[in-house]
Amino acid sequence: MSTLTLRQEPPERLDFLNVNPLSLSGLSEAEAARLPVGTGRRGLTLGDCFTIALDRSEDLVIEGGSSRLDRVGASLDGGRIRVVGDVGQRLGAGMTSGAVTVTGSAGPFAGSGATGGTITIEGDAGDHAGGAVYAAKAGLDGATLVIHGTAGDHLGDRMRRGLLLVGRAGAYAGARMIAGTIAATSLGDHPGYGMRRGTILTGGVGALSPSFVETGTHDLVFLRLLARALRPLSPAHADLAAGALKRYSGDLATLGKGELWVSAA
Amino acid sequence: MAAWVKGGATDAEAAVEAAATLLASARNAVLAGLCAELSAVRAAYHLADAIGASVDPVSGPSLYAELGSLSRTGAMTTTPAEAIGRADAVLIVGNAPWDRPIVQDIADSQASRGRAAGSERTILSLGGPRNGATRHVAYPAEAGGLPVSIAHLRAFLKGNLAGEAAYADLARRLATAQYGVVLYDPGEIGELGVEMLQGMIKDLNEVTRFFGLSLSDPFQGRALLQLAAWTTGQAPRVGFGRHVPEHDPWRFDSARQIAAGEADAALWLASLPAPRPDWLGTLPSVAIVGVGSPEASGDVADVVFAVGVPGESAGGVLWDERRAAITFSPPAGQTAELSAAGILTAIHERLTQKKAAAC
Repeated sequence: MSTLTLRQEPPERLDFLNVNPLSLSGLSEAEAARLPVGTGRRGLTLGDCFTIALDRSEDLVIEGGSSRLDRVGASLDGGRIRVVGDVGQRLGAGMTSGAVTVTGSAGPFAGSGATGGTITIEGDAGDHAGGAVYAAKAGLDGATLVIHGTAGDHLGDRMRRGLLLVGRAGAYAGARMIAGTIAATSLGDHPGYGMRRGTILTGGVGALSPSFVETGTHDLVFLRLLARALRPLSPAHADLAAGALKRYSGDLATLGKGELWVSAA
Repeated sequence: MAAWVKGGATDAEAAVEAAATLLASARNAVLAGLCAELSAVRAAYHLADAIGASVDPVSGPSLYAELGSLSRTGAMTTTPAEAIGRADAVLIVGNAPWDRPIVQDIADSQASRGRAAGSERTILSLGGPRNGATRHVAYPAEAGGLPVSIAHLRAFLKGNLAGEAAYADLARRLATAQYGVVLYDPGEIGELGVEMLQGMIKDLNEVTRFFGLSLSDPFQGRALLQLAAWTTGQAPRVGFGRHVPEHDPWRFDSARQIAAGEADAALWLASLPAPRPDWLGTLPSVAIVGVGSPEASGDVADVVFAVGVPGESAGGVLWDERRAAITFSPPAGQTAELSAAGILTAIHERLTQKKAAAC
């Protein structure tokens, strides 16, 4: 297990795009220490900020996180990264496989454009978790994003594929959703604004957009399958899917093939 | 007096030296505001490039509300002249457009060319004021705000909702227009609202001709956007820390950077009136502001320059809202002693001299 130990709070935002198990596997510790990670003119390197211990394994542990660590696990293509602490924006953005776990909280745009693998945030996530970054066509795009705590606004904005599990999230969750599944214990106002397709399952919502219409209660095989798929990740969410639910269809302002399942209890 | 250092009046040369020293010692400076003539904005981008700073205009929220939608889905837009000359139906969304002169221009004219020539012009309002100053048909906004109202209206337009609701009537009026225009302020309806509105306009173009006309922000954002594009190839919020312009609207938000303690110096450029940010003066700061403005005093920042106001005490290239183009505005009166572009260039040159001396 390779370990990077943060010496102190970084003086500027650091970019971890090129720091992952695969890129470190072919480097000596001295070579890894020269990897540029700074985003300012001082040219900060990995060795300036971290104590480095490498063993060429597929597991990388970052001890001592910071909200200034951007793009941790971005474009990850295998292996596992565990961050003991917080991370900044774009956690696991564009990753295709592997696993990223953060014991603290994450900044905005976690899991943006991720097509595979699993991202787990044990604390809270910022705005746009699983959402698209500026000018991107899609947010979460096939990966699994699990947020144990709360998420900010615009969760799963323009999400295209994959599964997003969260405790509580803010307003406009699933906005402009193209497809995929979001499961939350509760959501803020106007979930699914502008969604085309996709499924949102929640224990409760704030204000609903008038372009969603209730279509009754249903007992569908799909819901039992969804509950079964959710149970290994979160029994609470699985129980939600297995319980009594009201179905809303929308967003009728767009394609209208999305569905919002809200606990009827 | 035109320059101050630490509250004391001084000459421009000493203030330039103080500003250069302040910025040279910064690890991560931000250049914000950028509500100014284009020559000054260009000089600000060059200065940011030289010192590895980031740039964030005060017009950012309005610009990104429009750009976020444009970059993903495109837009169908028209110009003020086309709207005035061709439209037989104009939908005004929200409150902000009613303060602009184009509303009166539209109300005082009728379509004179194109397929709707000679038709009576109907002005419709969604969530706007019922002030009676301009004859129009008003439809109230939903409790959820303008983006939700636009989505509700679009659902009726698509035929996915039906009934005798007020929005059904509005949808019928829009669909029967021969040439329609939606007037809106992107800063007021936000990115989600702009995208929903542009989607509605595309839906309407299945049956008639319809276009969007977004109002420019009052802080020269439209002019700055063009300059940013031709200078960096990017939208305005960029950072030069890694020697190339990196675009990241979240990372280079100046208020966020300062609140998070990431920025350790700031330069505020506002030769035209712009709301003074709360953070000005809370970190080592340089302010370049218009002569006669409330900010033109020594206590606003560590170093303050009072410069010519474009169109008043200086000439400058500015955004012309009526023509939807950038044009030169000559000074209306006596020219001021200092220009914003001149000060920024002088600071840049002084920094270059300091760097050469240090080598």
